Amino acid sequence: MTDSQIDRSSRTDRGTDAEPSPLLRIEDLRKSYGDEEVLRGVDLEIERGDVEVLVGPSGSGKSTLLRCVNRLTEVDGGHIYLGDVDVCAPDTDPNEIRQQIGMVFQDINLFAHLTARENVMLGLRRVKGMDKEPALERAEEELDRVGLGDQVDSYPAQLSGGQKQRVGIARALAMDPELMLFDEPTSALDPELSNGVLDVMSKLVADGMTMLVVTHEMRFARGGATGITFLDKGEVVERGPPEQLFENPEKERTAEFFQSISHE
Amino acid sequence: MSEAETTASPTGRFRASSVGTSHAISIFAGIVFWGWLTTRWLNDWVLARLGIGPGAGENFVPREPFDAAAGSAIEAAERFSIGGLPFEWLNSLLETAGVAVLGWLGALLDTAGVAVGIAPALAGAAWYTILLTVISIALGFSIAVPLAVIRVYGGPLKWPALAYTELIRGTPLIAQLFVLYYGLPLAVWLQDTTLIGYGTIPEQAFWIAIIGFTINGSAYQAEYIRGALESVDEGQLTAARALGLSQIDGIRYVVLPQTLRYAIPAWTNELVYLLKYSSLAGFITVPELYNVASDIANSTFEFTAIFGLLAVVYLGLVLTATNIMSRVESYVAIPGIGAVEGRQQGDS
Repeated sequence: MTDSQIDRSSRTDRGTDAEPSPLLRIEDLRKSYGDEEVLRGVDLEIERGDVEVLVGPSGSGKSTLLRCVNRLTEVDGGHIYLGDVDVCAPDTDPNEIRQQIGMVFQDINLFAHLTARENVMLGLRRVKGMDKEPALERAEEELDRVGLGDQVDSYPAQLSGGQKQRVGIARALAMDPELMLFDEPTSALDPELSNGVLDVMSKLVADGMTMLVVTHEMRFARGGATGITFLDKGEVVERGPPEQLFENPEKERTAEFFQSISHE
Repeated sequence: MSEAETTASPTGRFRASSVGTSHAISIFAGIVFWGWLTTRWLNDWVLARLGIGPGAGENFVPREPFDAAAGSAIEAAERFSIGGLPFEWLNSLLETAGVAVLGWLGALLDTAGVAVGIAPALAGAAWYTILLTVISIALGFSIAVPLAVIRVYGGPLKWPALAYTELIRGTPLIAQLFVLYYGLPLAVWLQDTTLIGYGTIPEQAFWIAIIGFTINGSAYQAEYIRGALESVDEGQLTAARALGLSQIDGIRYVVLPQTLRYAIPAWTNELVYLLKYSSLAGFITVPELYNVASDIANSTFEFTAIFGLLAVVYLGLVLTATNIMSRVESYVAIPGIGAVEGRQQGDS
């Protein structure tokens, strides 16, 4: 429990006059798969340094929302702004956007033919165009940061699920993203393996990383989040600071949801 | 094959000793086979020109002793008779057995003589078979990879790629070769090309066979590679794209390196097929193994001996190819990728 109680005093101030617009602004986002409306007009604003946790029953559109932010999924309507850039505009290069947004997947998706170090290096070499030596050093630094400095030469199949996910986080962090997206990073892991991953995420929170996190780990949500958004059937039902949503939710559905997961 | 090897070995000790013996036998056979081929080529192309050795196409081992021995064995069989034993039935039994053994020995020596006689010609022809196979499989591969990528990721471009694949796979290779050789003005163009057919450069039929096998092989290889492409988890490319790699870079750096490892066993299959269906080049006059062997057989009527030796040469080539590919497979193996995962780990 203690490791998710984050000291937020060290975090960077936000909302100053120099940065008037939020880092991420989502307006009336809509997405359908065939006849099924997955997102029905979602609005969300995330300031720099915010840690927003998205919760909701399965099928509520959380993952789709994340994938829209870095255009892994094309939206049907609405706008997403990263700083001043309209993410969904036709002339916006999705590869540019994706370099500024790190993503961590539920099924981890480490490159199976590459070692941990090469996994982290790939983006540095092929996207940022770094030379081999500095990329190598940077990769080792990042792996060290997630506590895997001694596993740099391991292939994904030789790592535990938790170690793999930490490599996945290092891989995303190496690109110096402004925003990190976590799509249920611990859902595929055994509980005892999740802790290492949650520790790394908590460290990121303390370092002031802006994060949008889909998770069922309520300890993380309670300890690390600046805000919680409860999504159901493609709509934001309620949004607020963790204390409010956990203790005094305004909506009946929110209360029911938190009740149901607390019994798990 | 590795699967069969592992499952067919009941106990460790038995397996270790049988693997050791068969390993030694296969190494010995390999040295004999390739020793013969390379010495032959060295003699025919280099030493003969320098006036060293028996000369191009001449036998290393003279054929005459085999033929003479075969002749005497058969003669002895004809004259063989046993008399003087107390029982008549024993006499006739031993006589029948003796005639059979001597006759069999004669036939064997005769076959050996024929084999020794045609060995130089087959070694030269084997060179053509190897050249046809290696060049065609390499060129076919370089077409097959983009073709497979287009089939999977090419959007509407996949339709022309599919049409190509189905057209090539749906028509007989021999017909394709005939169209290329007789139907198109290709042979004439090639004949007019300066270097073709001069010195050590093969005649135009050889190049037409290369074109035919390349096109044909590319369609089959593309299908193997497409299957392997589709077996790579979708999340791999998604993760690459999330880092900011373009789709083509994601395919190049993430998907293909895994795909090609998955594809090695199926690809080896194609290599083995090609080694053998390169014999179809014989029908457009390329002097490869089958063409040379059947020519000799048709003029000497020694079908059993000649096609028996031909089978041995093909077998040697095929076993070499599969051996090389299984080495390649374990060399590029990565834990978690392809057929090497798990099963073979206790094998080495």
